[in-house]
Amino acid sequence: MDVHRTHDLDTDVAVIGGGTAGLNSAMAAAQAGCRVLVVDKANIVHSGAIAGGIDHFFAYLETGEPWDTREAYLGWAGQVARGAVDLEVQEAVYCDELKAALERVERIGVSLRQPDGKIFRTAALGQPGPYAINFDGKKLKPKMAIEVRRRKCKVLNRVQVTNLYLHGGEFAGFTGFNIRNGDFYRIRARAIVIATGNTNRMFNAQVGNPFNLWYCPANTGDLHRAAFDAGVALANMEYVRMTIVPKGFSAPGFNAFFGMGAQLVNSLGEPFLKNYHEMGNRAPRNFVVWGALQELKAGRGPIYMDCRHLKAKELEHLFFTLGIDKDTLPEFFRARGYAKDGAMIEMTVSEPMQARPSELCGSGIRIDRNCASNVPGIFAAGDASDQMGCLHMATAGGFAAGKSAAAYAKTRRQLLPLEPKAMHEEEHRVFRPLGRKAGISYREFETIVRAICTDHFGPLKTEISLKAALDKLGRLDAARDELRADNMHELMRTHESMNIHAVSKISATAALERRESRFPPYHYRADYPETDDENYCGLMVIQKQPDGGIATRLDKLRYAA
Amino acid sequence: MPAVIDASKCNGCELCDLYCPLDVIHMENDVAVVRYPEECWHCGACRQECARGAVSFRFPWAMLAA
Repeated sequence: MDVHRTHDLDTDVAVIGGGTAGLNSAMAAAQAGCRVLVVDKANIVHSGAIAGGIDHFFAYLETGEPWDTREAYLGWAGQVARGAVDLEVQEAVYCDELKAALERVERIGVSLRQPDGKIFRTAALGQPGPYAINFDGKKLKPKMAIEVRRRKCKVLNRVQVTNLYLHGGEFAGFTGFNIRNGDFYRIRARAIVIATGNTNRMFNAQVGNPFNLWYCPANTGDLHRAAFDAGVALANMEYVRMTIVPKGFSAPGFNAFFGMGAQLVNSLGEPFLKNYHEMGNRAPRNFVVWGALQELKAGRGPIYMDCRHLKAKELEHLFFTLGIDKDTLPEFFRARGYAKDGAMIEMTVSEPMQARPSELCGSGIRIDRNCASNVPGIFAAGDASDQMGCLHMATAGGFAAGKSAAAYAKTRRQLLPLEPKAMHEEEHRVFRPLGRKAGISYREFETIVRAICTDHFGPLKTEISLKAALDKLGRLDAARDELRADNMHELMRTHESMNIHAVSKISATAALERRESRFPPYHYRADYPETDDENYCGLMVIQKQPDGGIATRLDKLRYAA
Repeated sequence: MPAVIDASKCNGCELCDLYCPLDVIHMENDVAVVRYPEECWHCGACRQECARGAVSFRFPWAMLAA
């Protein structure tokens, strides 16, 4: 049996997940005068989506151009994220916070400018103008971590949060364990901000390397699952997100190629994206993925990033730029032999993941204008919320969530109790896999979950495939009691695999209820291939009921014509 | 093997172990060891933090050949 210590901690505002959104939440709550505790499964210096770097930030800058305004930005959001983005929330968590967010990034020591002092922006993903500020964000994450420490926030690194607890219907606290030494934590807080991203290890990876994913593989829906179990409503959970990645290496950055005049072509050497969207290479991401999938399906694959007009030197410059976002991508391209005149770089469609259908919203905890969930005291930010995604919203909206959580915390005079019986049961549940001498490993369990998801609800789904998936995933419930871990690392992975399993069921259940297609292939129902705005223009909200049952409802959203 | 650590260059500072977001690198006898190579994200955080240039990346054969 394991021997571990138990710690009881109290704080005003707890932030779970020390990625971009979480650290900005922490900064805001500390600025409001609260005691802040940040809890991260890794180390906040390099954790979350931008652990290795980032190279763009979406912003309108009010320069006088017609597309460069708040109204134009919201118009774009309403157009490309229709049915998933709540524009009232968007205004509060992004627009109202944008100016301060840009200033904050520069104040902590990361310039958003080019060496000549100017801001350089490019357009992509259906934008009406160049919203993407290109910058060197290699050091952004470490510098945010320094800022959080400077603001006297406490940080618990290497702690995986296992469950949330309420008292009288309000948030009371949470439990977690240290993934190296097994210390068990019982933490009470007046308010909590959940900022743990999405569920990225839910589908098969492209070349059998299970952690080579487009997005951070440490994001395994840990708090989506815990929040759901605590009665928190989730939304946009039916969407699976994909992009175009280099063959062999799931890494972001295809837009940088377009910036250099490259284009996606099929194996006939023909550009094809205009056949699927009038904006071609600059279409919203789901159209680019949809087009690529259709070409592959029609037998016109593989697909390539056509760089025949570029010299080796220009490609080297491009690879260097891509390396700001993905540190090891330049040497991958060199190892594949692409650093030569006129290269054709083979691309493919990435693995799906449970995540937002657009850069302009999120997928997870349903939040209001104050980033508050339906449970008093529980707030959400970044990808883990249903309305924030990407660096721009994680930075701006993360701060907004921290402010709201701090304001709420100040209204709570007392910390609420954590029931001893529940704590004892959770401690037993968390460490149980360590005590088993025989059983199923997390690798086996996760592999089966990912295979079921891949076979039944990736870029294509139907009522039959979704019901079959839920049936198969349900049959895995018994296996959860047989999972075995031989050390703390394996214990973390074991809990992750169970969380991936739980979220996959939530995702499939929500997808079953949306009897239409929206953002294909992110939610493409082959049995309902059309978009049905009359009945489904809104958020599919999914929530666990007090009796353990699961309820769904559609929160309709309205947009200007 | 994804991240590869040259033990002869490693000074045991533990920064790669500390900052690997996937808990892939562990110290063994004061030398950093890539204990879970199949769980590497190739993010490069370990290499960015290594002052001794002890970390390099070797892409699995399947990633290069696919």
